[in-house]
Amino acid sequence: MKIFSVISAILITAFFFSFSLHHKKEYNRLYESSVNDLDKQLSRLLEVIKNNDVSVQTGREHIRRQIKTCRLSLKGLDFWFRYFEPVAYRKINGPLPVEWENEVFEKFEPPYRREGAGLTLAEQYLDEETVSGDSLSGLITSSVNALATFRADSITQNLDSHHHFFLANRLYLLNLAALYTTGFECPDTSSVIHELRSMLKKVKEIYSTFDETFPSISLSKEYLSLYDKAIVFVTGQPSQFSLFDHYTFIKDYVNPLFSMNQQFITRHSVVTKNYNDYSLNNNCSSIFDKSLYAPQNTKGIFSLVEDEALLKEIKQTGKLLFYDPLLSANNLRSCASCHKPTEYFTDTTQTTSLQFDRKQRLERNTPTLINVIYNHLIMLDGKHISLQDQAKDVMHNEQEMNNDQDELLKKILSCKEYKVAFKKFLKYTPEEKEVTLSHIVSAITYYYADFSHYAAPFDNAMNNRQTISADVQKGFNLFMSKAQCATCHFVPMFNGVKPPYIGSEFEVIGVPEDTGYHKLSPDKGRYKVNPAHETMNAFRTGTIRNTAFTKPYMHNGILQTLEQVIDLYDAGGGAGKKLAVINQTLSSDSLRLSDPEKKELIAFIHSLNENIIFEAPPSVLPRSANKELNNRKTGGEY
Amino acid sequence: MRYAFAISSLFLLVVISDSKCSKQKQTEYDIPDHVTPENRALFIERAEKGKILYKLYCADCHGIFARGKDSIPNFTKTQIDNYHATALIGLDPKNHAVAQKMSSEQIDYVVTFLRLRKVKK
Repeated sequence: MKIFSVISAILITAFFFSFSLHHKKEYNRLYESSVNDLDKQLSRLLEVIKNNDVSVQTGREHIRRQIKTCRLSLKGLDFWFRYFEPVAYRKINGPLPVEWENEVFEKFEPPYRREGAGLTLAEQYLDEETVSGDSLSGLITSSVNALATFRADSITQNLDSHHHFFLANRLYLLNLAALYTTGFECPDTSSVIHELRSMLKKVKEIYSTFDETFPSISLSKEYLSLYDKAIVFVTGQPSQFSLFDHYTFIKDYVNPLFSMNQQFITRHSVVTKNYNDYSLNNNCSSIFDKSLYAPQNTKGIFSLVEDEALLKEIKQTGKLLFYDPLLSANNLRSCASCHKPTEYFTDTTQTTSLQFDRKQRLERNTPTLINVIYNHLIMLDGKHISLQDQAKDVMHNEQEMNNDQDELLKKILSCKEYKVAFKKFLKYTPEEKEVTLSHIVSAITYYYADFSHYAAPFDNAMNNRQTISADVQKGFNLFMSKAQCATCHFVPMFNGVKPPYIGSEFEVIGVPEDTGYHKLSPDKGRYKVNPAHETMNAFRTGTIRNTAFTKPYMHNGILQTLEQVIDLYDAGGGAGKKLAVINQTLSSDSLRLSDPEKKELIAFIHSLNENIIFEAPPSVLPRSANKELNNRKTGGEY
Repeated sequence: MRYAFAISSLFLLVVISDSKCSKQKQTEYDIPDHVTPENRALFIERAEKGKILYKLYCADCHGIFARGKDSIPNFTKTQIDNYHATALIGLDPKNHAVAQKMSSEQIDYVVTFLRLRKVKK
């Protein structure tokens, strides 16, 4: 009897084991067969390139058709590939020939040069006069080689457990909101929605196979039913991406799916081993919530302080310092002189601010400090990797505050109120023996960062908390399609940080020196930090949020109105305006926006004005033991 | 009477903790010869900051200072490198809740301390 029960137990276990093994193979098999299919299509593309003459139209059309077949095949793998190995993915479908990158965890090293290859670039080159069969073959051969990465054990073993699935799915949903519908890496914009439909269906197949293989941790019925509705919605939408309802697609389908997927991540105790996840917050339930990804460290030296009451004191001291002209060598200029806290922390009256000598002008326009914490690199050229480094730089900079560190500390600590406060804060930074400049700047960054957590009407609408006008929705749909804004200003921060939100992007758009477009602005931008052909005149992409209140625009403050800015883009940037910009990252073709369309775009931009609660300036500044310093003005002057 | 007891016990505590401190050995650092004297001083300053942070936030799990001897486990170079890399990316929040909150400078101090600390063989 005993033996019988043991044997039957073994048999049952073996049965279930083989059952699960069998099904695990199903999920793996789908991956494998999809990789094989792409491999086959890429090899065929190489043959088509070899057998056709690229200098004649029919030859090019044959190649183009096979590129499209390959792209569709890739859409069945995008879900996994982008998550598993984004660097290798760029060899299969990179958006640019060369990208210079500084991702969050690489910030402490010089920028990396990453060469793109593959389908998007091949399709772009096909329309250029200099195209050759060899260069096309080169791009596709790189893709074939990169495909081997995705067959490696280190990658495929991820498929054996559920952990990767919900994380890859999160990235997929974020990409659905931010990249897949914008033509970001689809040069033929007439194919965007066609490819989207195909991808949605292929991912449905991935979902079904996953659910078969991991029945106990499958996607919920609610999720799958909403996903099916998303497919129906997209199928019923026009095929032209400029007529596609991006607003409803994201609001009613992608964002709720994202929210459910976040719950799965928590419920199934998903653990990540991937370097694409670390910036994303598992506790955030909406793409349009500012907790979506980790911002800059705003606490600096006070990072380990948890005590709320003390943090409040640090913030108050930071506020006093922000308004205190003691921070400049001549005791005339404070942070608030240029970053006016009641005016979105910028100065709307100056093209570029006066230098320390009060005669010459600075090279660049004062940026707003609101939402800077959501950039991974600070300053328009990405010179600084932390907010605290940036603040120190301004204080030392000869053209700005022109201060000597010891002198500055002496002045600040000559005020009793500051001295008492910092002596207290010092106890919470045990590694430091005395008050340093790091204490000063950390209090300042902690203060101003507080103004970045507000939501805009557009966020509220996306989260179903308020309704928004039809013009705004139309403007957003244009922003995401025809106006080509969203290929650089990514959802949801509308800055240069795209999913998985780990790096800041730079672009060359050919900003002129004068409004007559006679000359390109001589500012070298990112080139000053990282000299390379691609970085000449490149600037970090800023956010669209609150722009209605942060004029003047562009790095040199040359444009005064949003209409002027839209005209620059509509014309195809500086190159479209006939300026010699050799490395413009923006197409030089006109966008052909109509006047009503421009108005709708502006309506959308206004919906990104955040409901910020500003504070009044401090009534008095701390009194110094040095009486001469007590005449200084709150907020400073010019 | 009660005050006297409190004061005397406080005094005793100070004496004990004082003697504890004096017993603790100063950490010696291994800095390559090619490093200039100024940079050497800077390295040591950073490592000393790291030591303070390590004692406060890491030593509970990774070795114990409190017994008056340097019993920090000897991390291998690879282990330290891995720590540095993962600390920048984001450490496992279950086991490294404090390290995760540190600023990049603070992580740097701790790593400098671990890298330069002379390991007794």
